Amino acid sequence: MERIVQQTDLDALSCKMAAVSKGYLPSKELQENVCGFSDYKTIHLEYFKSIMKNLGRRAQGQINRSLQSSFPVMNYGTYLRTISIDMVLHDYISNHNDDGFIQIVNLGCGSDLRMIPLLSIYPNMSYIDIDYEPTIKLKGNLLGNSEFFGKVLPADRYRLLSCDLSKHDEVINLLKEVTDLTKPTIFITECALCYLKDDDAQLLINSLISTYRKAGLWISYDPIGGGGEGPDGKDDKNDRFGKIMQSNLRETRSLEMPTLLKYRNKDSYSSRFKQLPDVNIDVRIQNLWEYFTKNISDEEKQRLKGLQFLDEIEELQVMQSHYVLLSAQW
Amino acid sequence: MNVDKTILLLKQGKHISEDTVYSLCLKAQELLINEANVTHVDTPVTICGDIHGQLHDLLTLFDKSGGVEKSRYIFLGDFVDRGFYSLESFLLLLCYKLRYPDRISLIRGNHETRQITKVYGFYDEVMRKYGNSNVWRYCCEVFDYLSLGAIINNKIFCVHGGLSPDVDTIDEIRAIDRKQEVPHEGAMCDLLWSDPDEVETWSLSPRGAGFLFGENEVNKFLRTNDIELITRAHQLVMEGYKEMFNGGLVTVWSAPNYCYRCGNVAAVLRIEDDLSKNYTIFEAVQAQDGVGNAIIPTKKTQMDYFL
Repeated sequence: MERIVQQTDLDALSCKMAAVSKGYLPSKELQENVCGFSDYKTIHLEYFKSIMKNLGRRAQGQINRSLQSSFPVMNYGTYLRTISIDMVLHDYISNHNDDGFIQIVNLGCGSDLRMIPLLSIYPNMSYIDIDYEPTIKLKGNLLGNSEFFGKVLPADRYRLLSCDLSKHDEVINLLKEVTDLTKPTIFITECALCYLKDDDAQLLINSLISTYRKAGLWISYDPIGGGGEGPDGKDDKNDRFGKIMQSNLRETRSLEMPTLLKYRNKDSYSSRFKQLPDVNIDVRIQNLWEYFTKNISDEEKQRLKGLQFLDEIEELQVMQSHYVLLSAQW
Repeated sequence: MNVDKTILLLKQGKHISEDTVYSLCLKAQELLINEANVTHVDTPVTICGDIHGQLHDLLTLFDKSGGVEKSRYIFLGDFVDRGFYSLESFLLLLCYKLRYPDRISLIRGNHETRQITKVYGFYDEVMRKYGNSNVWRYCCEVFDYLSLGAIINNKIFCVHGGLSPDVDTIDEIRAIDRKQEVPHEGAMCDLLWSDPDEVETWSLSPRGAGFLFGENEVNKFLRTNDIELITRAHQLVMEGYKEMFNGGLVTVWSAPNYCYRCGNVAAVLRIEDDLSKNYTIFEAVQAQDGVGNAIIPTKKTQMDYFL
């Protein structure tokens, strides 16, 4: 199961590379002008080139195939996922950067390269990537043995830690050694909680928030199953997206998402971040279709439309309504 | 080439030789060139929406609605792209057209073009199955001869997408030179791309082409042409069909569990002699049978989800 979850990083990476090569990312309007990112494409191409050299022929073939036939709906989804997290990060950091120090912990980081632009923009930031050991080893090698990354990545403020997220106490112990518990801390779980068992995920959330209780932000992106009848009675019983997703992932790659159908709507997904009675926490959640319709400007939508012919608006809506972005601030 | 034999092979999802596809497409072109832009169809008839290469679901569609041996059909386009069996689905419909020319009408959808099939899967499927693009080219030439619409008993207008600000009367559609790749704008493009919506007047479409049109445009079109109903496809409807504008327009969608992941049901619409409407709803074929054997072989590991 661990290996199967680790392989999902290749999916995320291929999606990201497809979106970069088709021009969805970076967004000039949002990532460059607002967040201040630079060299986004170069950084990603460089990493992609070196990771491909380290992969077996089969994995290479798989990635190349998915790059060639990247559907617009998938590229839109990758764009939305990336942009929405970058923007929440940017908003929080701009409001909490006064006291000079901020730390980010990316739980289940995979091949994500956000730390490079962020660390170069914010000289008082420290950044910690956590994932399974093989993922961390590979990432460490690729970054460490490269002249290019040696120049763009401030190694003194960046750490790669290997740990299994289902062992919350190990995660905490590792983090305690390398972080300042009194400083504002951002946790990112981008398609990470969905692979954990319900109890393990809840313990991870609760213990991290309690440990860093002074100030923090948790950004989480995950699929939600949809369907069923929620407390508000608004859920669509005919919505079978989650059920089909579960069986497709099971059949094609034996991948399990234990809580997909449990936290099937925005309310139930948010409830996991409100389990600590003595922490005052402000939880916001949007599905990514809402994010697309409300947060993306008309100019930006126009730009996206020019990249590939998006014929599948309804399908985009169905899919993106089943992914959520949560930001919980305390 | 033996059409009946080819039909049998296609139903089993078996490989069809390049030569067979060539002669099939050539014969289909000879037949389609003589069809009008808007073909006349008599009741009773079954109207079918998007298929998108879901061959096994297309077979279910025929099963549930009587079959082409007994009933008349109008297909509203989008035979290809997205599903794993675009080629087989399209060729099966062509074979039926050759075998039962009066019982099946094929209308062009916005995916029946060279440009769109290169992005949305049909081109890649042919390359995967034949190692070259010849078969894709033969099919694209047939696309250029497909009708743009149909009219049932002079009362029900059928089209893939919708209306166009450049078209007031059905006669104007009859005057279009359709034998070409679908242009990026203008009447022919709009018929294949437009969508109905709650808008006051013609509005920009969120898709790359066509327009949004509202109840006013639909009522005007119905009145001007003395017809009762517009049937179209083009948009995924989770319930299989959706009536709008006091029953002046209906969307029919015939690809269940679209892209093997959307969870929707599919529908076909049967129009009786008295023009009454009957919807048949159907579900997707299971990917595997009860004992785990693949019914729909998923050869390609798809990147369908964000992981």
